[in-house]
Amino acid sequence: MTTLLVVLLLAIGVYCVAVLEAWIASGRFRLMAPACSAIALLGRESIVPRKPDLLFFEMGPIVLLVAALLAAAVIPLSPDLIITDLATGALFLNAALAYVLVALIMAGWGPNGAYAMIGGWRFLGQLIAYAMLVVMPITAVAMRAESLATTDIVISQSGLWNIFYQPLGFVLFFIAAMGLAFLPPFDLPTAKGELAGGVEAEYSGVRLAVFRLGRMVLVVTLAAATVTFYLGGWQGPSLPPWLWSAIKILLVTAAMLLIGRYVPRIREAHLLAWCWKFGIPLALLNIFIVGILLVVIP
Amino acid sequence: MITAQAIFIGFFGVAAVWFGVVVFRTFSMVRSAIALLFSQTALGAMFLTMQAEFLGVLQIMMMATEMSIMAFFMVMFMMDPGGMGKMEMTHQKRLSWIVGLASFVGAVAIAVFIDWGPVATTVAETAEQTEALGLELLGRSMLIFEMAGVTILTAMIAATSVAIPPMPSPEKTHKDKV
Repeated sequence: MTTLLVVLLLAIGVYCVAVLEAWIASGRFRLMAPACSAIALLGRESIVPRKPDLLFFEMGPIVLLVAALLAAAVIPLSPDLIITDLATGALFLNAALAYVLVALIMAGWGPNGAYAMIGGWRFLGQLIAYAMLVVMPITAVAMRAESLATTDIVISQSGLWNIFYQPLGFVLFFIAAMGLAFLPPFDLPTAKGELAGGVEAEYSGVRLAVFRLGRMVLVVTLAAATVTFYLGGWQGPSLPPWLWSAIKILLVTAAMLLIGRYVPRIREAHLLAWCWKFGIPLALLNIFIVGILLVVIP
Repeated sequence: MITAQAIFIGFFGVAAVWFGVVVFRTFSMVRSAIALLFSQTALGAMFLTMQAEFLGVLQIMMMATEMSIMAFFMVMFMMDPGGMGKMEMTHQKRLSWIVGLASFVGAVAIAVFIDWGPVATTVAETAEQTEALGLELLGRSMLIFEMAGVTILTAMIAATSVAIPPMPSPEKTHKDKV
């Protein structure tokens, strides 16, 4: 029952995000836009390119969707509204999200097309940049909660949210989450106008619909993870806990999409250089600061 | 008595071996790497079935990234990475057979003849397991893990330096211009 409820809320969240993205991109608020796009995509022919690696071509979008859904399974929307409250929840989230890379490499390699392949390998380079910036801020969050369970992490923020306790970690995780979801300005694997859609280039019809759905679920999951780790999860006055989660997740998603709208696409080499020269040392500094804070203010 | 746990361990074990076989049966380097990835993921699933949650999740997480990077290196170094030309890319077959069989016999012998100590009847809490693992890694196993880590790092740096084409020397470039 809980699983069904979470999946339903996730589906509603994905639709809201799709509306939001269309609104930000086109400047017009149209509630039915994602539904019309989905119907149009499902109605179109799903073309298979010549000489593909069919297994990878078919599995890429599905692996992306499954990875994003599995990551969502450990996110608590309220104390009881969580699919599985694993003791290693924060680590499991990382494990599931690691398969986003596998999905994009499969989707990039499968169609036997140059743009798609470049997009897939680009994401591997992007991972080398952002991966540590996902894991290291989570380490500092787990240090404060003294647990990897996501519910414990939310409860640990009852006095003060982590966005105030470790703001540096929040900024780094937020940037890394945008990189993981390949949202602009980190949309190097898809790169519209430059790679003709990159990983998406050779997909059409129902396969493209599944790919885009997977990406939307990924965006919502990462926004939910940000809320869980830094914005006090379900906590808030007056309103029911799940509604607080929903409001915060939508606000984080809107922030991610809006930032992408106004920042130009970053180059792969610049991203790698920034992450390794500044991002990772800053993430280490964040762990160090949190360590000291934990000793000084137990 | 065969329990559901034993059935799942067997299932994931067979899956791990099957994907391991696929690694050598395919001509595509990317397929080979992804097959190895799923073989390792099946091992992670075995850990999870044996209620070693932290180890299982860690295995599943680490392998996704590592094997993808390995796929990239295999594509860089192999002449026919897509396997489209069905190029023969194996070598030293007799030596490989001997080393492979000897390793297999050795591994089985260790598994059968080693004294594993008393069998645990209860499973510790996941948090306790994680703590015990941390103490082990920072205690008697530290040297082994650090050595393995440094060896892998050295191999990565060496492989990258091999892949970079040599820079032309300044004198030569100057002569070419003249």
